[in-house]
Amino acid sequence: MKVRFKSNSFVIALSAVVLGLIAGGIFMAMIGSDPFEGFLYLFKGGLMNIERIGNTIATATTLILVGLSVSFAFKTGLFNIGASGQMLIGGLCATLVAHFVNIPRPLYLVVLIAAALVGGAIWGIIPGLLKAKFNVHEVVATIMMNWIAYWSIFYFVPAFLKGPFLETESKSILLEKSLRAAWLNKLFGGSQYINLGIFVAIVAIILIKFILDKTTLGFELKAVGSNRYCAEYAGIRVNRNVIISMMIAGGLAGLAGMVFYTGYASNMQIGVMPSMGFDGIAVALLGASNPIGVFFSGFFFGLLQSGKGFMNAMTDVPPEIADTIIATIIYFTATSVLFKRFWDWVARLLSVKFDKKGGN
Amino acid sequence: MKKLLLLTMMVFLIGALFVSCGGKKEAAQTAAPAATTTQAAPAAAPAAKPAAKLKVGMVTDAGTIDDKSFNQGTWEGILKAQNEGLVEAKYLKPSGTTEADYLKEIGNLYDAGYKFIILPGYKFETALYIAQDKYKDAKFVILDGEPHTADYVTYRTEPNVVCVIWNEHESGFLAGVAAALHIKEGEVGFIGGMEVPAVQKFNWGWQQGIKYANENLGTKIVQKQENNLYQGSFDNVAAGQQIAASMYDKGVKVIFAAAGGVGVGAINETKSRVTAGKEVWMVGVDVDQYPEGLLPNGKSVMLTSAMKYLDRASYDMIKAELAGTFPGGQTLHFSAANNGLGIPPVNPNLSAEVQAKVSEVSQLMLKGEIKVAGELLPGFFK
Amino acid sequence: MSHVIEMLNIRKEFPGIVANDDITLQVEQGEIHAILGENGAGKSTLMSILFGLYRADRGTIKVRGKEVHIANPNNASALGIGMVHQHFQLVQNFTVTENIILGREGGFILDRRTAAKRIKALSEQYGLSIDPYSIISDITVGMQQRVEILKMLYRDAEILIFDEPTAVLTPQEIDELMQIMRNLVKEGKSIILITHKLDEIKAVADRCTIIRRGKFVDLVDVATTSQAKMAAMMVGRQVNFKVKKKPAEPKEPVLFIKDLNVLNNKKVLGVKDFSLEVRSGEIVGIAGVDGNGQTELVEAITGLRSIASGSVQINGTDITEKDIKERNEIGLGHIPEDRQKRGLVMQFPIRDNMVIKEYYRKPFSKNGLLKEEVIRKHAQDICDAFDVRSGEGIESAAGKLSGGNQQKAIVGREMMLEPNLLIAVQPTRGLDVGAIEYIHKRLVEHRDKGHAVLLVSFELDEIFNLSDRIAVMNSGRLIDTVFTNETNEQDVGLMMTGVKVRGADHESTI
Repeated sequence: MKVRFKSNSFVIALSAVVLGLIAGGIFMAMIGSDPFEGFLYLFKGGLMNIERIGNTIATATTLILVGLSVSFAFKTGLFNIGASGQMLIGGLCATLVAHFVNIPRPLYLVVLIAAALVGGAIWGIIPGLLKAKFNVHEVVATIMMNWIAYWSIFYFVPAFLKGPFLETESKSILLEKSLRAAWLNKLFGGSQYINLGIFVAIVAIILIKFILDKTTLGFELKAVGSNRYCAEYAGIRVNRNVIISMMIAGGLAGLAGMVFYTGYASNMQIGVMPSMGFDGIAVALLGASNPIGVFFSGFFFGLLQSGKGFMNAMTDVPPEIADTIIATIIYFTATSVLFKRFWDWVARLLSVKFDKKGGN
Repeated sequence: MKKLLLLTMMVFLIGALFVSCGGKKEAAQTAAPAATTTQAAPAAAPAAKPAAKLKVGMVTDAGTIDDKSFNQGTWEGILKAQNEGLVEAKYLKPSGTTEADYLKEIGNLYDAGYKFIILPGYKFETALYIAQDKYKDAKFVILDGEPHTADYVTYRTEPNVVCVIWNEHESGFLAGVAAALHIKEGEVGFIGGMEVPAVQKFNWGWQQGIKYANENLGTKIVQKQENNLYQGSFDNVAAGQQIAASMYDKGVKVIFAAAGGVGVGAINETKSRVTAGKEVWMVGVDVDQYPEGLLPNGKSVMLTSAMKYLDRASYDMIKAELAGTFPGGQTLHFSAANNGLGIPPVNPNLSAEVQAKVSEVSQLMLKGEIKVAGELLPGFFK
Repeated sequence: MSHVIEMLNIRKEFPGIVANDDITLQVEQGEIHAILGENGAGKSTLMSILFGLYRADRGTIKVRGKEVHIANPNNASALGIGMVHQHFQLVQNFTVTENIILGREGGFILDRRTAAKRIKALSEQYGLSIDPYSIISDITVGMQQRVEILKMLYRDAEILIFDEPTAVLTPQEIDELMQIMRNLVKEGKSIILITHKLDEIKAVADRCTIIRRGKFVDLVDVATTSQAKMAAMMVGRQVNFKVKKKPAEPKEPVLFIKDLNVLNNKKVLGVKDFSLEVRSGEIVGIAGVDGNGQTELVEAITGLRSIASGSVQINGTDITEKDIKERNEIGLGHIPEDRQKRGLVMQFPIRDNMVIKEYYRKPFSKNGLLKEEVIRKHAQDICDAFDVRSGEGIESAAGKLSGGNQQKAIVGREMMLEPNLLIAVQPTRGLDVGAIEYIHKRLVEHRDKGHAVLLVSFELDEIFNLSDRIAVMNSGRLIDTVFTNETNEQDVGLMMTGVKVRGADHESTI
């Protein structure tokens, strides 16, 4: 059953992606561009050479972690729309560590990760507590937390991390404090942004998968997410699980913030809400909230984001339309839920046909 | 299943909300129709492509191509060159505003054969610092900035890079003189976005211009500390509107806003006051913002604008490259002296008399008889 | 008589299971034709084929002698076939009329008045007593079902399929429904009644097709066939309706309720000054009409609802301040009233559902890690012992099981916990006689092992069959507690209306 279901959701996701691409292609054709050429350059832009693959991975890393955060909350029946805020706070904690902690690198990395985890977790735990204690809907609470984070950055960056000239962004962190690693950059043909974050993401995926599938904690979280009444009846502490789930989801988004602000970027800008926090919802939907699925869907979205510019440069597609095309693809892929129905229908049709043939 | 479906719908709904919100903001910032860009886009691909046309690329800063500011000003210069059949042009819009996002688009342009790349704004400084070494056979023009390392320790401009810097204070000075001459007496105000050098210099020059007019041209303008402030962002339209409203309530007649979206809010407030029969004015920034201030009756609330001739910078650099005189490695200062800035050539709201007076002052600046300081002088507001 | 519906040699297969294997059904014009079968015997599948929800792999369908292909419910509708589903398909905040004409608006402007008139006329013709202007959410479940029937009649259905129509009804409502069915037949309609309740078949049906495990067993004339015989054909063996049990040997008190007050959802007292004792080795049945505080009482004992005042002790421990987990650990088992909402996590496989109360304990987990092998074995044991049938065994999602199998799984899980106090609410709801017999036997065994059982049921038969003592509830109060062998259904029925019967109260315990 398990294997069947997995392959099933893979087919669903794949058909969603294909339909998304077709929709994007139609869009391109409508504005008078050649869709095949467009997609050729889109994928070339993300994968043409080793450097670009590195850049694609760097873009995907953040998306994977955010997607993991959102899908983890999904598992407990919660909708974490606050990944952006959690990213900001996680990123802020990481940036503070990067500026003020001077210890040997291995130890430093541990502190960095811990800080981002804690920062994001705090930002996640608050909506969790509000939900558990006062039944405040987490969608409302997390959106509020996004804006609190957004405006906190306005205070923290100028107050503690001010660069020499610019008020609008923090001082850049030193290269040796960033998640970038020279050997990794070299390995990926000089890609500037590939960073250790990808390993953080992979470890996180394995860990989350393990928690969900193999531990009593995962069992509880899934039970609460699937049927909280039954979980309550069975003696599972629903509220405690809601809080834990939001805490872990927040922590994962905090890690995404760390990867983004101290790996992909090297400073924090004020007045910018990281859009990955929302893209992560699409990543989670396409990945069917499965950690492995999230890995691939995050990579796919990273590829789209990463290849978009090259498609732009090589074709006559205006950049604004390119954004629309990417959004169309994301939109359609996020409807993967609908494809489950489609495939169920196809399967039924096929089985009838097949049986009839067999019968005759 | 049902739950998931519901969830998907919710995502879409929230997504749609977001998109519509974002869209609105952009629309507000670019209220005037982007005639220039839209008509130019189809022209970008002429039927026959002569082989060796220079391919000019641009990466946009935060905001859209029709932002009535840096992106648009720069792009218009490039378009001019393209419309003259000199070059083939393309701009790319990065997906974020980090150095990585900028560098990625520079790389995309380079890989697509666009090896003359114009970067509008200081935000490209660190990205360019890396790009100038990475793409040695490409040429770069950066407007309003100079390549340096992220820690500001090392500044280095390679021979394949030209930097263009403006003396914003001179532009602010001229706008100040024009505004003072127009209203003759009363109070003026200044709204800045973030407290960054380019904005500050506009402010300081503006104050000096007002003072000059008071001392030499017989105006009686009052400047107050409370009417001189920075909002703290470039995108808070509502705050701009509020600040403008409170200034007007205190009796201010003209506001100079160097504040992006915040300025848009101020313009909106001005429009509604003018519509209600009040006589108040705005002074625009960077580009000629006259169209931004248009009312339904065809008149504009924009008295004039303190311009940087961005289009000139991009156009001139393209011409220089084509002529083989690309001033690589140099930092060019665009000033009143070399006609690199000033108020717009046409100002329907200024009398001919005022305009003549302003160009007189401009001449004096050109000759060096008027000196405008690009720093905070004692006796002026921060 | 002519056959209005004929389904000949129908076969339908699902992954891992043959739901219908060569089944033939012939319904005559103007009869009530029952289809009797155990849970999962294939009754619903057969009707879904007739209604166009599934397509048969093989076989032919004839309506009024003509062969037809029914591809979807609209086809079925056009042929005059209507179905009253187990779960009503009504919009809660619409009126009866709006619900009935939904999808049949016919034209751009809604002519509610004409429609309402026709609905009123239909309602009177068949004795449904429905006000076309009531809002669905304001009327009882039984009324809602009649709205579903009206919907069919409004669409000129001639053949009505009732899928387990009594599962959600109170005894009075069941009686009324029976009368409505008779009216319908009198007016020339034909009815197919899907059920596993023998007394209902006996009460209304003319003929009965019996199927077992997807196969046709027999077609019998109801009037001349005994219930026992039908039951035997359905289950495939002789069935005992009366469970055999020794007299109870109650020992020390296990559940001790004192002066309990509990608020209901409307924030008024649903349980009032309730005191009761259940001893080890006895089954105490709570008799009462649904909605008289049974739900609140059970939720207060199990921890799903907080209590307003009073105390509850299990095994001598005051549990009023304990949470559900702690109560479970003290030795509380609970077969919940609503199996879909509380009893199972529908998305989880049966395997995980079987350990949902014990997953954190040894041997099912160690140091926070689940022991899958142990869990699997445990689940398999329950499924074997309680005959839980599903397409893919313990890996089937709970939601894919038929209602009866879900119930058996829950009962199995709770029994396997060996709880000192088992609270069984409607433990055999939706089950066929075979399964009921089995579960009753297990409940008695549980008692005989020296545990206490508190049984809540709305079916007096079940209360009398199982209980050693009967506590009667009305409006949240305990009316009286009586020994089963010293009372009768009439007296208890009377008490259920709130009247204390003199002769029976000499042995009230508390």
